[in-house]
Amino acid sequence: MSDQPTRLLLVDDEASLREPLADYLSRQGFLVEQASDAAKARAALLVTTPDLVLLDIMMPGEDGISLCRHLTESKDLPVIFLTARGEATDRIVGLEIGADDYVVKPFEPRELVARIRSVLRRAARSGGAAPASEALYAFEGWLLDPLKRRLTDPEGTVVPISSAEFRLLSAFLDHPRQVLDRDRLLDMVQGREAHLFDRAVDNQVSRLRRKMEADSRDPRLIQTVWGGGYRLACDVERVAPARVED
Amino acid sequence: MPAMHRFLPRSLLGQMLLAVALALLAAQTLSAVLIYRADHQRREAALISSLAFQLVSDPRFEFREGRNGRGGHPGRRKIRMERTLESPLQNGELHDPEREAALKDVLVAQDIAIDKLVVFARKVTDDDYVMSGRAGPVAGPEGRWSLDDDALIAGLKRAGENEWLVARVPRPEHNTRALGGLILQTLVLYIALVGGLAFLLRRITRPLAALTERMSRFAGRAEGLAPLEPSGPEDTRALIMAHNEMEARIAALLDEKDVMLGAIGHDLKTPLAALRVRIESVDDEAERAKMAATIEDITHSLDDILSLARVGHAKDPLERTDLAALVSSVVEEYEDLGEPVELGDTIRIALPLRATWLRRALRNLIDNALRYGGAAEVSLAREEGYAAICVSDNGPGIPEGEIAAMFEPFARGEASRNRSTGGAGLGLTLARAIAEQHGGSLSLTNRVEDGRIVGLAAELRLPQKG
Repeated sequence: MSDQPTRLLLVDDEASLREPLADYLSRQGFLVEQASDAAKARAALLVTTPDLVLLDIMMPGEDGISLCRHLTESKDLPVIFLTARGEATDRIVGLEIGADDYVVKPFEPRELVARIRSVLRRAARSGGAAPASEALYAFEGWLLDPLKRRLTDPEGTVVPISSAEFRLLSAFLDHPRQVLDRDRLLDMVQGREAHLFDRAVDNQVSRLRRKMEADSRDPRLIQTVWGGGYRLACDVERVAPARVED
Repeated sequence: MPAMHRFLPRSLLGQMLLAVALALLAAQTLSAVLIYRADHQRREAALISSLAFQLVSDPRFEFREGRNGRGGHPGRRKIRMERTLESPLQNGELHDPEREAALKDVLVAQDIAIDKLVVFARKVTDDDYVMSGRAGPVAGPEGRWSLDDDALIAGLKRAGENEWLVARVPRPEHNTRALGGLILQTLVLYIALVGGLAFLLRRITRPLAALTERMSRFAGRAEGLAPLEPSGPEDTRALIMAHNEMEARIAALLDEKDVMLGAIGHDLKTPLAALRVRIESVDDEAERAKMAATIEDITHSLDDILSLARVGHAKDPLERTDLAALVSSVVEEYEDLGEPVELGDTIRIALPLRATWLRRALRNLIDNALRYGGAAEVSLAREEGYAAICVSDNGPGIPEGEIAAMFEPFARGEASRNRSTGGAGLGLTLARAIAEQHGGSLSLTNRVEDGRIVGLAAELRLPQKG
């Protein structure tokens, strides 16, 4: 990161949460500005431009989703939603309008910090906010929807995968036919559950193979490269999310 | 007669139609018998007076009976009455005392002095006098006498006279035509009444059937039904309208419950989040970890409550999903947290299901196994017509009598009372509700080895079509 402290804008109508959270984030080395509703947030944005916005969805007046649309369209700012709801539909709505991540209340403050850093890292890499793309990955008849984190096999059956497996698979799909060594994979895969991802990459790969390969001892998709690491042994296309399946 | 019950109709329509049909049959039979008897008496009286007329009038003038023949014969015929010196009653023939008494009454009323009177029936073919044609034409279209009939014969010997005067009238054996008419009339009445009644009853029972169907549908799923149109007679309409009011009230209460639970969830989660942030300033790390665990427990219970409120009307669609991958991804989450959860035998089964919900059910079962058994093993097998996910532990099990009660909200196993931990006790209730949401079931059984309980197995069954 740069030497300058990271500037956050925290938008939440609940002072009882907003104030202690701002204190906590300040102690973690962030420069935190607070806004109690969307109008105040818009006013604050005219004065300074934060590096990232933390946004409550349910607020009186203009809600978080509408403000988020404004932020990502006009300012191209990374956004993390704070939501009291945990429904998968909220997640998709949030991510489709351009939020980069979300946490469900009550969240662990450390996890929030980890996600803030993760989103900022991604934004820095791609030179701006990088919301997940809508296009699906298509390979060997399989489809991966990066928004919904939904993997379907050639017959259209949904194959549930964990977040770690999703990130591992995404890493492979972004670099088809390339040899990826364990360190590189670990770096690409470390995400929000970095603290959970303490098992070896090998373990995750073998889990993924169990779910995707017809015979996990003779893998056709994710192959082991002796001395090197792993390689996705097929081509990948990005396709528009036309509703082919179901 | 219990066997009879099988043949009795069970519906209101059937039972009422049967009762009415039986009552109508009894009434019609009674009136048919009465009509038949009155008719019989009338014909009897006609026979007697005809005999009496012949007996009284003959000595004074000739009895004539005219008929118009088709062949152009002049219509007047002279019918002579027989006179004999002997009684017309022959050996072997039985006289009829009832008719004799009736005829005697008539003759006495005419001031006739009777010496001897005899009345009896004889077959037309056995009677020479009739067969000779002297009592009128025999057989044929103009016949006064039919060969199948009996002749009713009366012999009268007046006081002070030597000769018997013999009168004859034909007596048809049976009046079947009258009886047939009666049966036809009964039948027509029967059809008209029972048909009309059936129509009327249908008007009552059809709305009742609609109401029954509606109530069973409402009991299954309370959403998206327009109120039932009141129909049928006034009483049924009132019932339907009352039902509609009740249904609306239940629906309003259910909506209110969902809104309230949603609000509770939202309103409690924000202060919980604030609390979770504030405890970060607690310096004692052990103390802070306990606080965080407590907040997590509350959050978990809150999620169970909210899920239970929503489980009956999940909006997300069923998706064909690899069940083995789902089970192993849940088990892997626990493995990654270092929890002693193992994946046993699995088999590739793809089923249409709601993955988010099923994950939750599975997590609740695994959490229970960890809480009471210390460790869990999860396996997936294909059984006859369903897929079975089995979560087993090595804990103390549950006394047989208490298994059913475990599914009740807020029930807890014995073991939890000795521990500080323990969820809201909604875990199993929710898991079962999710199983039922998928058309499946959840059962708990103790694992027994050598007559000893060695653990508990929870089996979640999902129906498999085709």
